[in-house]
Amino acid sequence: MKRHRMPDIKEGGVNVTPLIDIVMCLIIFFMLVARIGVSTGAEKMAIPETIQGKKIDDMGNTLTLNVRPGPGDQPFVTALVDGQPCQLVLSESRASKSTPSLVGVLSAMQKKNPEFKAIIRGEKDMQYKYLEPVLQSCSQAKVTKVDFNTKVVVR
Amino acid sequence: MKIRGAKLVHYDSGPNMTPLVDVVMVILIFLMLAGQFGGMEHYLMSNLPYSEKGLGGAKPPSGAVPDEPLDIRVDSPSPDQWVAQVGKIRTSDIDQLTQQLAKMRDDLNKAGTGTDRIQIVISPGRNVKYDYLIAVYEAAMKAQYEKIAFAKSH
Repeated sequence: MKRHRMPDIKEGGVNVTPLIDIVMCLIIFFMLVARIGVSTGAEKMAIPETIQGKKIDDMGNTLTLNVRPGPGDQPFVTALVDGQPCQLVLSESRASKSTPSLVGVLSAMQKKNPEFKAIIRGEKDMQYKYLEPVLQSCSQAKVTKVDFNTKVVVR
Repeated sequence: MKIRGAKLVHYDSGPNMTPLVDVVMVILIFLMLAGQFGGMEHYLMSNLPYSEKGLGGAKPPSGAVPDEPLDIRVDSPSPDQWVAQVGKIRTSDIDQLTQQLAKMRDDLNKAGTGTDRIQIVISPGRNVKYDYLIAVYEAAMKAQYEKIAFAKSH
């Protein structure tokens, strides 16, 4: 009687080639689109939406001012100054090392770099009375370039 | 004892992809968690042009010809409403405001005033929401004005 041989055993693992294809595509996408390690100091808040607007390629010349309503009709302004998030006060007399004055910070940056831009990132429901002192401070510091950070309208 | 069948076992062995998949997945997860996406936001540019009524009271350089001011008064009769007045037109419709501003720019251009010499001065009430002011600002941008500034609140 003829003896039957056992069939050849093949390693029947999962075919990972399509997985690698997709994952590599995703990696390339994230590497191109994502900004890693770049912090502008922009805080999470509801900002106005606009259709018009431009991208800023070089954020090195900018200071993002997060503006929110504060106590007593005064705005609460925060920014990333020398890599440290801090509150900026409007009154020079109330300024300290941990809470520098807005005009002082803006003036120093404007002197250091004539191409300096201030970026205002304000809550959309904030009233103008909170924004006005910030614009006045920009003007006092002779900052002529002020950009308004808005969200792209998704249609 | 020698097993005869063992020699016949065939492994379909290409390069071992497991470490590659491991590393690639780690990189992917890192990029997904660490990345910030800048595609959802943009900026409305402003050069805060010189304006007598504008904020700060910056003085124009000597010999400079003052710009032609065009005031837009913005008020908020209630927290969820805004009204803009430009010339004799009073509206709370952003398209109508844009059209009116474009028409006024055309009229000024025909009268010999270049667009670069016209300065839009947005004069808001203290309680007008920033969202509405940005909408008015954008309307002026859509109407192709180049100089737009905010003035003191009224």
